[in-house]
Amino acid sequence: MTKIDREDIQLISRHSNLSQKGIEKVLKEEIYSDQKNWRQFLKLIMISLGVGFTAFGILFFFAYNWADLHKFVKLGLIELIIVSMTIAILSLKLSKLTKNILLTGTVLIVGVLFAVFGQIYQTGANAYDFFLGWTLFVTLWVLVANFAPLWLVYITLINTTVILYNQQVLHSDVSVFLYTICFLINGVFLISFIAGNKLKSKIQAPGWYTKTLALTTVVFATLGNIVGIMDYNADGWFALLLILSASLYGYGIYYSLKQQSHFYLSIIAFSVIVIFCFVLIRISDGQGMFFLISIYVIASVTLVVRQMLKLQKKWKG
Amino acid sequence: MATLTENDPEFVVNENALEESVAKQEENQAGLAVKVLTIFGGFLATNSFIAFCIAAGLYDSAGGLLVFGIVFIVISILLDRFYDRLIIDTFSVTMFASGLALAGWGTGALDSDLNLIPLSYIGVGIIIVFVARSFILTFLSILLINGSIITLMLMNSYYDLVHLYNTICTLLVTYLFLNEAKAISMNNRFTELYGPFRIGLVFSLLFGLIVLGKKGFIPVSENLVWLSSIVMFAAVLYMVTKILNIMSVMAVRMKLLVLIASGLILLSTVFSPAIAGAILILLLSFKVNYRTGMAIGVIALVYFISQYYYDLNFSLLTKSIMLMSSGSLFLLLYFFTSKKIDSNEEL
Repeated sequence: MTKIDREDIQLISRHSNLSQKGIEKVLKEEIYSDQKNWRQFLKLIMISLGVGFTAFGILFFFAYNWADLHKFVKLGLIELIIVSMTIAILSLKLSKLTKNILLTGTVLIVGVLFAVFGQIYQTGANAYDFFLGWTLFVTLWVLVANFAPLWLVYITLINTTVILYNQQVLHSDVSVFLYTICFLINGVFLISFIAGNKLKSKIQAPGWYTKTLALTTVVFATLGNIVGIMDYNADGWFALLLILSASLYGYGIYYSLKQQSHFYLSIIAFSVIVIFCFVLIRISDGQGMFFLISIYVIASVTLVVRQMLKLQKKWKG
Repeated sequence: MATLTENDPEFVVNENALEESVAKQEENQAGLAVKVLTIFGGFLATNSFIAFCIAAGLYDSAGGLLVFGIVFIVISILLDRFYDRLIIDTFSVTMFASGLALAGWGTGALDSDLNLIPLSYIGVGIIIVFVARSFILTFLSILLINGSIITLMLMNSYYDLVHLYNTICTLLVTYLFLNEAKAISMNNRFTELYGPFRIGLVFSLLFGLIVLGKKGFIPVSENLVWLSSIVMFAAVLYMVTKILNIMSVMAVRMKLLVLIASGLILLSTVFSPAIAGAILILLLSFKVNYRTGMAIGVIALVYFISQYYYDLNFSLLTKSIMLMSSGSLFLLLYFFTSKKIDSNEEL
């Protein structure tokens, strides 16, 4: 028998003489967190807070302007912390999760190292090469640990590097080009993780992670397409983004149907609806068009919801 | 469902009615994705509708705006009342939000007291809470009521009343989360609306926390900030006793030790009630295994802690020492309790 959920209990209660005590008991046994869940939760909270606070403490410590401290001492201290944490991770008998959280903390401290380096040699704290260095030097750890939160940090670093490079080296504003590159990077990671999930059970990425990544990818695709539509001098990048995002959305729909997931379907549908709104605005931005758009949005969202409810019924059998 | 029947020989189910309800529910029950899509779609449509009103110069007639606004709101309520179907939710959200915007706009243009706008929103919200049947409209109404209460406080410079607001919200949220069985056994309209009430109140509490969580966001009296903390501390400590029960910690000394330690950790956040509030949302949601609440709790906690340190008027060095000592404390607690917790496992 499949696990019962809240709605089931509610329905049974409505059509039976189940007492409040009875409901309480079923909720406790079937739905609520039990002792084992709480044990894992408390451990996770404490280690995350511990590593998080300590890593940021170290960050603030070195951000303080230590005028008297020689640069070698500063850099040496941070390196000492990094090396000792790495040794601790390799040699201590800890659970894999604890080790991964510690490694994530160490990755943050590598960032501190680059920041202090930038501070000493006056390269600026938000220079793209600071993030590039940080990204490159933690790549191996990210690969070895294969830990979802660390991957998220890593992908954020890559996106930041790209956006800063666009600003500082190419001296360019937000453009279709930038969004296409960001879309490509996040999209490639997304597809790799989905493919990885299939190929090897060891690479299982948690659902929240692939969903976050998918959301980021769809946001970049949507923004890129909107800028492309509104830009009267759209270039080849827009054509590329259009083809790529259409293909990814196509695959996304196929994947959702196979996985029976509403999430991917809804973000893709919403993105397409929003993009098409801008096609309409491009055609005309007169008062009548805005009225038309509101009708169009209501109709299209309603249609999508109807389709999703149908699918849900089918999936539930 | 064996657990339901095994221990209770007098358990009776009306099977036909149950099957009918299951069929109806399957048609109308939607996951989070569908609900969020509906709300976003509704707001997108509302935005372009309001853009249309501005472009068409409809703002010329205050009376017209007001009448249209009221008509729209009434239509959304009637739709909700008579077609209790998810399919029309996007339309009814659009009608509802556009109606509120138009009515507010009209009231503002009438040169009347501006307080009338949030006051009438509260009235509309209360009516809807009593008559609505759908998840989304109920949820939006709760946000509307509480959002308007906060707006009223800000408009009239009663900033310190936010503590009263937070206290009431905290009590309501805690009560609602811990009395799910009672809500289900009531078997009335409220049973069906338990979900939107719960999430609506979590967001409402979050409003109150955000107002306090960012220093200087509103000019509250700084030496009164701890007022909001009282009820949050009490609620979190109450949760700690619940957790101790679940963990089957029986020894009184151990219980006291944990309570005192939790109290001390909480005490360090006394001037940032938002942090304790986020912890409370997280603990409550984890207890009843409510994922949306957990996600909100984690994000809120990370945000409020960062904001707290960002706003702190100390040198980076002092901040650093504070952070590192809290970090070490949690790491110590981790290593200490994981041994304790694991040894408890065998008992």
